[in-house]
Amino acid sequence: MNALTAAPEAPAADPRDPNLRLENFLDDGTVEIINEVEKSGFVSARGRANGAPVVVFCSDARVQGGAMGVEGCKAIVEAYDIALAEGTPIIGLWHSGGARLAEGVVSLHAVGEVFAIMTRASGKIPQISVVIGAAAGGAAYGPALTDVVIMAEKGRIFVTGPDVVRSVTGENVDAARLGGPEPHGRRSGVVHVVTETEDEAFERGRLLASLMADQREFDVAGTEERDLGETFPENAKRAYDVHPLVDNLFDDAAEIIELHAKWAPNIVTALGRFGGRTVGVIANNPMRLGGCLDSPAAEKTARFVRMCDAFGIPLVVLVDVPGYLPGVGQEWDGVVRRGAKLLHAFGESVVPRVTLVTRKTYGGAYIAMNSRSLGATKVFAWPSAEVAVMGHVAAVRILHRRRLAEVEIDDRARVEEELAAEHAVLAGGLERAQEIGVVDEVVEPTKTRGALVAALAEAPARRGEHGNIPL
Amino acid sequence: MAAQHIASDLVANVHSVAVRVGQKVEAGEELVLLESMKMEIPVVPEEPGTVVEIRVEPGDVVQEGEVLVVLQ
Repeated sequence: MNALTAAPEAPAADPRDPNLRLENFLDDGTVEIINEVEKSGFVSARGRANGAPVVVFCSDARVQGGAMGVEGCKAIVEAYDIALAEGTPIIGLWHSGGARLAEGVVSLHAVGEVFAIMTRASGKIPQISVVIGAAAGGAAYGPALTDVVIMAEKGRIFVTGPDVVRSVTGENVDAARLGGPEPHGRRSGVVHVVTETEDEAFERGRLLASLMADQREFDVAGTEERDLGETFPENAKRAYDVHPLVDNLFDDAAEIIELHAKWAPNIVTALGRFGGRTVGVIANNPMRLGGCLDSPAAEKTARFVRMCDAFGIPLVVLVDVPGYLPGVGQEWDGVVRRGAKLLHAFGESVVPRVTLVTRKTYGGAYIAMNSRSLGATKVFAWPSAEVAVMGHVAAVRILHRRRLAEVEIDDRARVEEELAAEHAVLAGGLERAQEIGVVDEVVEPTKTRGALVAALAEAPARRGEHGNIPL
Repeated sequence: MAAQHIASDLVANVHSVAVRVGQKVEAGEELVLLESMKMEIPVVPEEPGTVVEIRVEPGDVVQEGEVLVVLQ
């Protein structure tokens, strides 16, 4: 091609350009730049996310790798001041190597001021982080202090990068394996939502911001019934994946966001609309670890409950739990300390929160899963549900240990079954649970959606007054 | 393609093995049925593959992290 006659080509846009990223994140035509200091490393803007007013700031990865200096940190703090004054969510789009080395300690001081305002804003306005490139050092702890962290495929979070790790510990690891979507989505619990692309990460961020900021009202009359029991296996002992039930419960399965899907997958935590309003759903997943609670699951759920409570988001708790997972590993992993967080989170929560026991709820896990005693707004159970200290067979093995020991081994299973049936009558099942008031109402799976929405709508709409410490 | 080592999440008894060596399986298809915590828990792969090795049989007790089946 003749260079003299060719039409001049526009230079290809740099995908790291923060103005471009803000345009991509916010609804079309809503970007209003607040603060763009030349070379500060950060740009902030007002705009809308699925219609909801938000404030967004974005690293400028073209300037010193998006490092956080005094001017850039000032831009973030000013964006927070505006979001706090206007009561809107604030979203950070992160692609930054951390504090600016060239500026010295003054940059550390500035980064510390960002952490301080994030902490002051905690529980007051929703804070969402979208990590689209490397976020290291100070830029790692920024997202970690916020309510929800979304990571796109190229996102990386670490305190120190692969080179430092190699020189100090000799471990040979690349950035993706050290701090990419796989380790943070599955192992560390740092990241709540993992996406394939930057665009998808932005789409999730907009949906989340609008669910949290524009929560809407319950529409009790307009809530359609569905058969929530249809996704359950016939065999009551058979494990199943709880996701179809969660999808079926929400109004629209396409408009829900599951948090921490791969970390502690034995419990599901998700936000979406139910009966027209934003709610948080918590559900044991029997497909993983039999649905047992363990220490990461308790911690994940505790943080979710506290986040929803802080922002006035009502909760629906779907219970099918055999107990806490036994084991030396669990005890040493702090299942008592971390499990206590879940008891504390439910115990202090003031939002409307209803429980539905679908199949069974036993023992300590029964208490932890938003029981009546912890202050559930209302506890429902399906007609075949079991509420007990433990399964009947397990109970008679303890209660009738001596008697069973005397029985011939071949006959033991039959005697156990008989005793278990007797025990079931004595323990009283759901009727007894209703008498003592730990179950309020037995409801059919085909009438459950309306009953849950009505119970949530009747309860006073309150909001907890506390921050959302990243438990 | 890399091998997929399908391991148990938890201490359990092996109730049954649903596949044989050489069989092609889909993501989410039951490979092994475990019994633990009063539940029957199917073990399923996240991605499709061909069974190249089965390391357990019914009645075995497996530990957390123990490999049950290898897929290619």
